[in-house]
Amino acid sequence: MNFIEPLPGELERLRPDPLIFEEELDFLPRAAAALEQAAGGRSGRFYWRSRHDHLYCLELGDLGRGRPSTAAVFGHWERYEPRPPEHEIDRDLMAFHLWFAAAAGLDPEAVGKVAERAGLPGSWPAGAVLRTPDERFANLPGFDYEPRCAVVENLRAAYVEAGSGDPILMLHGEPTWGYLYRRMIPALSKIGRVIVPDLIGFGRSDKPAAPNAYSFRAHVRWMRKFIEQLGLERITLVCQDWGGLIGLCVLAENSSRFTRLAATHTGIGGVDRKPGEAFRKWRAFSQRTRFMDAPRMIARTLVKRRESIGADELAAYGAPFPGPEYQTAALAFPRLVPIRPDHPGAFQAAQAAAKLRKLDLPVFLPWGDSDPITSRGRAALHDIFPHAVAADLPGGGHFIQEDCGEELADLIAAWMQDAL
Amino acid sequence: MLKTRPDWLEPLFPWRRHALVVNGRRMAYIDEGPRGGRPVLLLSGNPTWGFLYRDFIEPLTAAGYRAIAPDWIGAGYSDHPPRDASLTFAHHVADLVSLLDQLDLRGFVIVGQDWGGPQGILAALQRVERLAAAVLMSTWLFTGTLSKFHRSPKPWTTWHAPLIGPYMMKRHKVLSHHGPTALTVRGMTGEEARAYHHVYDEPDSDAVVLTWPRTIPVTEGDRGWRDMKALEARLDELADIPTALFWAPEDPVFTMETLERMQQALPHAEEPVLFDRARHFMQDDRGADIAAATVEFLDRRLGGGQ
Repeated sequence: MNFIEPLPGELERLRPDPLIFEEELDFLPRAAAALEQAAGGRSGRFYWRSRHDHLYCLELGDLGRGRPSTAAVFGHWERYEPRPPEHEIDRDLMAFHLWFAAAAGLDPEAVGKVAERAGLPGSWPAGAVLRTPDERFANLPGFDYEPRCAVVENLRAAYVEAGSGDPILMLHGEPTWGYLYRRMIPALSKIGRVIVPDLIGFGRSDKPAAPNAYSFRAHVRWMRKFIEQLGLERITLVCQDWGGLIGLCVLAENSSRFTRLAATHTGIGGVDRKPGEAFRKWRAFSQRTRFMDAPRMIARTLVKRRESIGADELAAYGAPFPGPEYQTAALAFPRLVPIRPDHPGAFQAAQAAAKLRKLDLPVFLPWGDSDPITSRGRAALHDIFPHAVAADLPGGGHFIQEDCGEELADLIAAWMQDAL
Repeated sequence: MLKTRPDWLEPLFPWRRHALVVNGRRMAYIDEGPRGGRPVLLLSGNPTWGFLYRDFIEPLTAAGYRAIAPDWIGAGYSDHPPRDASLTFAHHVADLVSLLDQLDLRGFVIVGQDWGGPQGILAALQRVERLAAAVLMSTWLFTGTLSKFHRSPKPWTTWHAPLIGPYMMKRHKVLSHHGPTALTVRGMTGEEARAYHHVYDEPDSDAVVLTWPRTIPVTEGDRGWRDMKALEARLDELADIPTALFWAPEDPVFTMETLERMQQALPHAEEPVLFDRARHFMQDDRGADIAAATVEFLDRRLGGGQ
């Protein structure tokens, strides 16, 4: 177990939740002594981060018997939010138990066997994860790429890829999926290996149904694990909307895997804290509606291609969502945008922003001139990356990949060749 | 968690008991009225449970509202974890947010009394676009000194003092078995009193009754201070939310002095409606009248239950 110090300001944002409480260690003194040795202390709190990026602590109490006498284990969740799915907590606790068993001279293998017998630590319960039927994705206009998938925390993370060379990772946002990038794949796949994933909860990727499955932290973690699983290095990140909120955090926390950043119509939470009127209206709408008509929403947001986009192209944006039960992720996204300093995710985003300021990778900020939602995002990113190169796309709205797809792809290709 | 209701309770509280898991514990609630009706969350406080709102269910559902009365974790028919650390202000807020999410409630109304006020409003602020109106009675939303009742060392602060608290509140159930009856104005029947008390009959089931008073944030550093400050800092987000204040001038717990502070905290709230012949558990003393006032307010400000 790798014990750490929590980050300054982190703990007060979180809700300590007793998972194991007032456990007595005195009945097995040798285990208590071994625990002291392994934790590096007889009393106090010893923190660690789990494979789910959750913060836990082991609290030891000293009653003057020459070794720790009591133990408790706490999870730490976003202060006012429901805690994450129970199987995540179970897996994290099991990792702790295995560590403790080894440290205390007990038998980790036996712990594993007992857990197996009891059906622990488990995964997503039956019915907790929805998958859009494949036939919904038949005959998509302009998107004839073979669907592939990685598995992240027992969830199917779908993606398409084209070309070869260093990866160009293109991240979509709300409420779209990889289809959004179809007009950019041809040009960019000539200069690199284009990889276009669908975020968990979107497109062809699996869709946990429970709202507490989705958080800012979970999306960042899932994307990091996706990148790790594909073994991507020397990545050029292309991102828009939530693709940026997530991608910029992943980049900041794993910067050695990235070589370039092209961000468009996005922002970073925890920096651009005061959202404009357009975003507030959108957020309020999204929290009141029961079903988001994605094709209609995109049609109304398009600028240059509002009239010329095909009905079959628009329909492709509705393909992932056969019904409201498939939209937990889509309906949660506007609420998860960190718009206040105390908002869940704001802390992680602010940490990421601080790391990004220290990076000197080439940054490109191509932006359309017709997007009320992210108009402030570009200034915030320019502030973080003063050396960023900007480009303007007249007639480009929020879904810039639709309005100006080929043009944007050409600009990015040219910048990539200039930048390195 | 109590599994079944005793037979004697059925005539007083006949509604079906539902439960779902919030943050790993089972939260009990009743859920009556049309599914498509506007959800009205009836939130009680210490040491009561949904029973306090029994006079509200029929008037609300008859007017087309969906009446949902959850019991906080630690209280009523919900799980009763034995430790303070599972029953913090933040836990209660997160528990209610989980209920809001799992029932997928939109356009909901918070009706809150005692801890139902701050816990209900702070939870609603986490889903503020879905909040439609608030009705607050005998409650508070701020740090600092409250009434003489809360300042007084005799009896309140002594009841929950270190070491003395568990003796009084847990071993002798001074509040959980004597609270509502001590403050009733109209007088309770034996069965009504039992309805409040029996949910704490089990040994070691009273933790929340002690945790709640210990969480009242009177001075900085008190246990509920940070969360109440977080709530105070966001009260301006309620400026467009229709808000009613129902108060009992004879209430020794949340007095007219507290009402003044509520009006300062919520300047957009309607002129308070005062109920005589009532104290802190005003839903019990004047249930039918306060339910009618609630329906009138919601009909007028939100255009009805559908």
